[in-house]
Amino acid sequence: MDYDPMAMDEIESKGPVIKISQADTVRVKFELSNADISFANSLRRVMLAEIPTIAIDLVEIEDNSSVLADEFIAHRLGLIPLNAEGIEELQYSRDCDCEEYCDHCSVKLTLHARCTGDENMQVVARDLVPSGDRINRVLGTPIINESSDGLGPLIMKLRPGQEIKLQCIAKKGIAKEHAKWAAPSAIGFEYDPHNKLHHLDMWYETDAKLEWPPSEYADWEEPPQEGERFDFNAVPDRFYFNVETAGNIPPDAIVTEGIKVIQQKLASMIHDLGETEGGENGDYNGPRSPEYNGGGDGWQDQGFTTPYGNGGNQSAWGGGAGGTTPYGTTPYGGAGAGNGGW
Amino acid sequence: MAKSKSRTEAPQDASEDVVMQELPTSHQPDVQDDASMAEVDAEDDAEVEDEEEIEDDTQRVRLLPGSTPTAASFEFLNEGHTLGNALRYIIMKNPDVEFCAYAIPHPSEPKMNVRIQTYEGTTAIEALQKGLKDLQDVCDVVSDKFVAAQKDFKKKSISS
Repeated sequence: MDYDPMAMDEIESKGPVIKISQADTVRVKFELSNADISFANSLRRVMLAEIPTIAIDLVEIEDNSSVLADEFIAHRLGLIPLNAEGIEELQYSRDCDCEEYCDHCSVKLTLHARCTGDENMQVVARDLVPSGDRINRVLGTPIINESSDGLGPLIMKLRPGQEIKLQCIAKKGIAKEHAKWAAPSAIGFEYDPHNKLHHLDMWYETDAKLEWPPSEYADWEEPPQEGERFDFNAVPDRFYFNVETAGNIPPDAIVTEGIKVIQQKLASMIHDLGETEGGENGDYNGPRSPEYNGGGDGWQDQGFTTPYGNGGNQSAWGGGAGGTTPYGTTPYGGAGAGNGGW
Repeated sequence: MAKSKSRTEAPQDASEDVVMQELPTSHQPDVQDDASMAEVDAEDDAEVEDEEEIEDDTQRVRLLPGSTPTAASFEFLNEGHTLGNALRYIIMKNPDVEFCAYAIPHPSEPKMNVRIQTYEGTTAIEALQKGLKDLQDVCDVVSDKFVAAQKDFKKKSISS
């Protein structure tokens, strides 16, 4: 097999290229070029939904005389970004040996506030105090941005005399389960700033060009020439990412972690595929395939067989009169066997 | 008593077409009877470990029946467009592959199917394995390039 998997587009290339155009503590902007859109999108999806972080998952309310309902406060607590440094060493609670939660799979935070003055009091994320044996000194501490004067996100307000006392258990998780575990706060993903590929259909009143502001990446790519013909073979190959974080993971770490998650997925697939192959010798049903009665009755097993029906060992194309494709019963086809070419 | 027993057995019969190991553990019949509970402690522990291993090892790729060496469908559990589309693309890049496509048969089932048809000389399983490895290589390259770009950027921002 003499081809270069790195050459993700038809032009001869040295594989994907990355250019960082801006990077600070909240965002990293970079361009991924010479890659296919499917890979770029995988990276985007994985960064959004599958990077493990830590967030409050269990709340035990001891005393709540505030105006807010318990479950309302619990939900707000869940959404507070917590520092995820060292999250690799924290176990998923479901994988842990302990009964419910322990220091290996959770971080405990306590909140106790009472308004003793005669003015309303703010309860903020800084008031959440981590306790217990932690993996390191930062894992699970609330993120406090400079913009909030060192207080962090506002949780609630208390009137004089009101009190809130609760304990939180923060656990490891991914955003696929709940958005509170999202590593980035947002990801910008953009390609083809001049819409040369016509993947977008711009709404306009009189002229789309005048009414839509140009993309910030418009200068990076050649604008279309006057009267240029539409290129039917063109595919997108430059992708502009803007990865923003709320502070739980540094933005550049989100990118590297995202790639790591894809790698782990692939590695586990390769591992599992090795097991499938164990039963390969003649038995293509694999070691754990369901119990088919010889595998002859394609229609009975439709849900599990290949798209071409014919549970047996016939060629994928069916062949002969037996080749009843799934299209056989459509209103257009009539009976599969009597249906000409199919 | 006998009546209630037959009643409890009925749903099990109805689920014959589903592979038992593939049911969530909560739905699997409790195999352990009183006799095995009374076994020696050490043996009991070993058994528990065994069971755990099986649970952890739930195979996430499966070859669907009705496949031939050069034309096969695979079922991936707990995977979606994230892996499916990239994998489809990279497998299609392989010149020995005639056809590759992926589908998510139903949005509320966590399953993703990949169909691979190859030319003679290689098998669909090999093509899938190669696809996975190629994608890993791409990830390696992108990861390295990103780290390099990071260093570059830091250098530039310090010097400027």
